[in-house]
Amino acid sequence: MIPTKTGKDLQMMKAAFREFYFNHGNRIEEPVRIQNREFGLMGFDGVMKRHLKFSSLGRLVASLVLETPSDVFASNAQYDFPVLPISEKGWRGADLIFDIDLKDLDLKCRLSHSYMTCFSCRSCYFSGSEDRCPKCGSNNFAEVMLPCDRCINGLKSEVSKLHRFLASDIGISPEKITTYFSGNNGFHVHVLDESFNDLNSQARADLAAYIMGIGILADVIGVRRDTHNDFRVRFPLGGLDYGWRKRISDKLGISITSERKLTKLVKELGDIEQFRKRVADIAKEMGVRIDSQVTTDVHRVFRMPGTLNSKSGLTKTLCLDLDSFDPFEESCQLSSREVAVEIMPPRLKLRLKGERFSLSEEIVRVPIFIGVYLISKGLAHAV
Amino acid sequence: MLRSLLFYKRIHNNRLATMTIRLGTADLAKYPFLNEAAEYMHQTYFNLDDLNLPELGHIVERASNRIRSEIEHGKPDFTLERHEIEILTFLVGILIIKAINSDNLTKKHCLCEALRAEKFLVHDLKTHGEPSTRKLLLFKVFKELLKMDVLPSMKYQLMFEVKVTDYLKRSHLFHEQEWKLINRLVHDGRVFLDPDETVRLIRAEVTNLLLERIKQMNPSHIPATIRGQANILKASIPMASRKLANAPSAYPPCVNHALDLMAVGENLPHSARVMLATYMLAIGKNIEEIVSLFKNAPDYDERVSRYQVEHLAGERGSRVRYLVPSCTKLRNDGLCFATSQCDGLINPVQFGRAVKYYRETNLR
Repeated sequence: MIPTKTGKDLQMMKAAFREFYFNHGNRIEEPVRIQNREFGLMGFDGVMKRHLKFSSLGRLVASLVLETPSDVFASNAQYDFPVLPISEKGWRGADLIFDIDLKDLDLKCRLSHSYMTCFSCRSCYFSGSEDRCPKCGSNNFAEVMLPCDRCINGLKSEVSKLHRFLASDIGISPEKITTYFSGNNGFHVHVLDESFNDLNSQARADLAAYIMGIGILADVIGVRRDTHNDFRVRFPLGGLDYGWRKRISDKLGISITSERKLTKLVKELGDIEQFRKRVADIAKEMGVRIDSQVTTDVHRVFRMPGTLNSKSGLTKTLCLDLDSFDPFEESCQLSSREVAVEIMPPRLKLRLKGERFSLSEEIVRVPIFIGVYLISKGLAHAV
Repeated sequence: MLRSLLFYKRIHNNRLATMTIRLGTADLAKYPFLNEAAEYMHQTYFNLDDLNLPELGHIVERASNRIRSEIEHGKPDFTLERHEIEILTFLVGILIIKAINSDNLTKKHCLCEALRAEKFLVHDLKTHGEPSTRKLLLFKVFKELLKMDVLPSMKYQLMFEVKVTDYLKRSHLFHEQEWKLINRLVHDGRVFLDPDETVRLIRAEVTNLLLERIKQMNPSHIPATIRGQANILKASIPMASRKLANAPSAYPPCVNHALDLMAVGENLPHSARVMLATYMLAIGKNIEEIVSLFKNAPDYDERVSRYQVEHLAGERGSRVRYLVPSCTKLRNDGLCFATSQCDGLINPVQFGRAVKYYRETNLR
């Protein structure tokens, strides 16, 4: 949760967003069969308008310039009647989408670039330095994080892991996998293979569990409970050559010929329950940390590629080359005209649009992309 | 004996010689719901009134006995006659079912036909010598009927490859952890299954396909012999299976889901059966009614089911009456299918009350 923005803050953000949609509306990516999608526009007042329909991208952009929403969403689903209530829309399938969010990675660098902002007096500190506001004594805080290069690299490595799962296990060719930086603290991976579109929520939940490494049984590599609450080893039909069978057996250092070694391993761990726990832990560690709720929701509205994220002022951007992609460079697309803002934390350093900024608690004139970035995080206020 | 039948003569005299049956006739006997079996009937100029002929009396009797056995024992008939007899028995069976017009019995009959085909199909996939014959069978049953690609594995002998999407669309109906994708051999968009698993995957679908066919069937009239058999069988249907306990909408979604799976003969896990039985006990159903709910289970044994339900009711063993598992427990067991009507509930047994309260408060 980000502290409430002042009227001036919202005014500045709205002006910057309108300018962006007026000048760069053509950067918004048109979804496949746009006329069958449901759109959602979030206002700067926090009210979401859903069940909207646009017959073309031009009409959508015109509406964005006119209304200037804080966030723009389109459904992953296609409907016969996108404007009707959910039960009457006529669901015709939904794109398969994965979300990898920084909060799920639990990276160690997190504390070094997190700030606590006070809801009561709007003052700001480094995260973890205080347990209550030194200025007003309130314990009503919000934590705000400015992702660093290590965070982005952590996210990229998780995305690469997801790509490998989708390609080698699920058989999706790399050209059908599209990756976007979400505009804030994550990546969205869209699958452009229509054969996945008619999977329902439960089928998608099963696929998500596969990718996350959840629900694995020791039977997968041939360790089964026998009638006397003991265990027996019998390698499964099809061996240990692929998928999770291979991942687990490689990690445990066993092969189809090492039945005795596996038996010994189970005994060393104590019993089959301990072995099962070990296998489950390995799978969880090797799985991809996706947000399963996002993948299983077949009626969700997703941020549209090319639109601005009101949590940062950055755009949701297509990553053509994940390794070289720099979100602080490529996703920062607001203009550079100068605005005056009051910086809240005692000091902060950041890099955006190829420039490094070192700011401290004072009123400064900065490019609007920096102003909006800090205001949206609650770390600055418009003057 | 059949050679003397008018019907059979007509087949041979007229069209049989010109028919192109790509599957063997023995296969049509096992899978009389295939498109080719319908084509076969079409080409024999079969007329519904032929069923009134005394020569076909034994076919009507055979179909009738098969349905009686399904009503009484809940189990399919696995005897296998020649294709002419089997295809006609299948047709007469569904005509009788249509004439009886009972939802429960229709579901039961379709499930039994699916189970019957399942047994033959597993056997055929395991033993059909020629790879080309096996491929043809896979094509006819899986591709032509169910629009699903199944191929014999090139990598592993006696295993079959199914597309990940085809697998996911069907496997989510199973609660057992072993059916979760993570517990399968998956590679390059394919799931590798043994013959039993491959065929098990489509049981519900074959059942639904037959249900749909019976629903769509609109015969010009029902022959008198069929109507007569239907009336006799109708009288023998136990009262318990004629009526449904409550309006299904009154049940919570977890219970409805379990009932739906049970209706199509899915093998519910133990935890789901406990949930179903304890819920029914909690809302005041008697032991008989609850035991009859499990009749469609593939492993149904009335004696065992009765003992278990009585045990849960506190009439056997420890004499402790079991409570309905909490929503948290059901969620952990993967048995929760909550809707917005479940908001705020901590146990499925509160569902009816919550719906009533919701309706009342909305009326104010």
